[in-house]
Amino acid sequence: MADWLIGLTIGLPWIGALAVWLAGDRRAGLQHRLAVVFSVAAGAAALLLLPSYGDAPALSIEVGSVFGTLTFVPDGLGVFLAAVATVVGSLAVIFSVDYMRGEASLGRYYALVLLFIGAMVGLALSGSLFLLFVFWEITALCSYALIAFYNDDPKAVAGGLRALIITQFGGLGLLAGALIAYAYLGDTQISTFLARADTLPGSMLAVMAFGALAAAAAKSAQVPFHTWLPGAMEAPTPVSALIHAATMVNAGVYLLARFYPAFEGVTGWTTAVVIVGLLSAFLAALMALVATDLKRVLAYSTISQLGYMVYAVGVGGVFASQFHLLSHAVFKALLFLAAGAVIHSVGTRDMRQMGGLRRELPFVRTVFVIGALALAGLPILNGFWSKELVLEDGLHHGPVWAYAGMLLAAGITALYTFRMVWLVFYGERRGTGHVHAAGSAMKLATGILAAGTLTSWLLAGGFGKMLTESLPFHDLHAPGALDLYETILTAPATYLALAVIALGLAAWWWRDRLAGARHALAPLARAAEADFGFEALNRRIVTTTALAAESLRVTQTGLLNWNVLGIVGGLVVVLAVLALGA
Amino acid sequence: MSTLEITLVSAFALVGAGLYGLLITRNLIKVVIALQIMVKGALVALVAAGQASDQLALGQSLAMTVIVADTVVAVIGLAFAVQVKRVRGTLDLRALAELRG
Repeated sequence: MADWLIGLTIGLPWIGALAVWLAGDRRAGLQHRLAVVFSVAAGAAALLLLPSYGDAPALSIEVGSVFGTLTFVPDGLGVFLAAVATVVGSLAVIFSVDYMRGEASLGRYYALVLLFIGAMVGLALSGSLFLLFVFWEITALCSYALIAFYNDDPKAVAGGLRALIITQFGGLGLLAGALIAYAYLGDTQISTFLARADTLPGSMLAVMAFGALAAAAAKSAQVPFHTWLPGAMEAPTPVSALIHAATMVNAGVYLLARFYPAFEGVTGWTTAVVIVGLLSAFLAALMALVATDLKRVLAYSTISQLGYMVYAVGVGGVFASQFHLLSHAVFKALLFLAAGAVIHSVGTRDMRQMGGLRRELPFVRTVFVIGALALAGLPILNGFWSKELVLEDGLHHGPVWAYAGMLLAAGITALYTFRMVWLVFYGERRGTGHVHAAGSAMKLATGILAAGTLTSWLLAGGFGKMLTESLPFHDLHAPGALDLYETILTAPATYLALAVIALGLAAWWWRDRLAGARHALAPLARAAEADFGFEALNRRIVTTTALAAESLRVTQTGLLNWNVLGIVGGLVVVLAVLALGA
Repeated sequence: MSTLEITLVSAFALVGAGLYGLLITRNLIKVVIALQIMVKGALVALVAAGQASDQLALGQSLAMTVIVADTVVAVIGLAFAVQVKRVRGTLDLRALAELRG
């Protein structure tokens, strides 16, 4: 049963991608319908898969000696991430019906989105390192192609290329880890690696651990590799919601959580993870505070919230990080889609041109505010429970300085969230031009997500049970639902965090009286606008890659003779390797 | 030198000659010819291998299959060459190289 469901969850979106592409761009209505049907069916298959979780491979494919057996394991982490990817994915597709109406090359759009959804499910469920890497790269490729979807806009193409290069750069860390594991254990199964990680030499394990951290930082847009995510905002908004908020960027956190038992003993690794999370959460919150582009604010806030999850893994709170991942996926997808509705209605992404939209877009205002309150971490929305759980774990198991930093970041989060809501929906209208209402597909998708934002925290008990029962290598202690709520509601740390969040709100409320403080912090704001100098590092990676590609161009002569020589050379190498008995 | 060795050496000689042709020629028709010489070398090796492993019939039937496939390659290659000459007015590979990076 589970093997069929796994096949369907990965296969349905991929068949859908093919079907949409075959339908052709002349039949746009059919393309919309096909995409919605296949993505919703995949979402249903993933939800049906949820109850049949377990720690044994449900689907194994023998492919011979070098690659070993390709397995899919429906354990708690995997089925949960697969469900998030397909359900949020199907909502993004439904939203696209309104958002992408009348756009050119719909076939390319939907085919890539569906290909991405299938690959993300594969990434979550794969039980072998080799398969994990393959799906990891497919998601990167889809992300690149979708960021550069408006391919006559040079900014979009540059943003896509940058995302591709940076995430590949991190992916090398994952590949190195997989090769090391295969070299020492003779097996690419993740379960084998987790069970026998302590038999590896310490230095090799350290290389793997920090390689995985680099891969995760690049994929999850963490400091110092975070600058591709704001650039990725050139993509159509449903893509931003799906890939750059709710699913692909979670892959890094997923990777850290998956391999946590193997790497936690590596000297300095957990501290490094905590530092990466803390810097991301804190610096990205500051950058969100000064950004004026609505989607960029949301992108920085995604980096910041992913920082919370990475931090939670660093202090050993795997359950807290995954719980926050669930909450974040729901409320951030909601925020992005609602922002998409705003942008679609107003025709600009600049918040300085908005304001006073509460009258024209009452429904969007309501769902956006729900998402914003969850982002700020106010009770009783899902963001409150998971963020408090992360901070709770941080206080008890992590260093105090990191906890203080995260607490401060929570306050700044509240501040920038309310600045954003205010600039978009309240005050007086600053821009000109006609505002047209949101379509029904947009309302459907955002309405479902708003309901999820209000209720997804009720799943905590079942989610914890699922994780503890199906992850044999993780030392998880997820309490029951009621215990969890009680712990959060009675812990003093919760009220401390709420006080800091309230301070953040107050800072926005009395912003005029705080003009002096704002003046004093002006240098900090300028540094935040300049991305704290990380931009230079990322640009150097991109330009170095481009330079290498440019200098390798001469090898592509296009001449038959040289190509034949290349083939013969390759053949000689293969024969030599075979002769040496490898 | 046994018969097998002689056949294998001549097979290698044919493949080598074809490969050399592929490496140096700039003429599309000569490319097709060089390719044919290479495949003929492989054919000889196939038959010799069949005899050496006491499966002469298998080697021969494989060789027959390759001859059919190889003829198709030659025909299509030459047809391409004719069309290229008509459209582009040249058979020089350097002038035809469009995949230059």
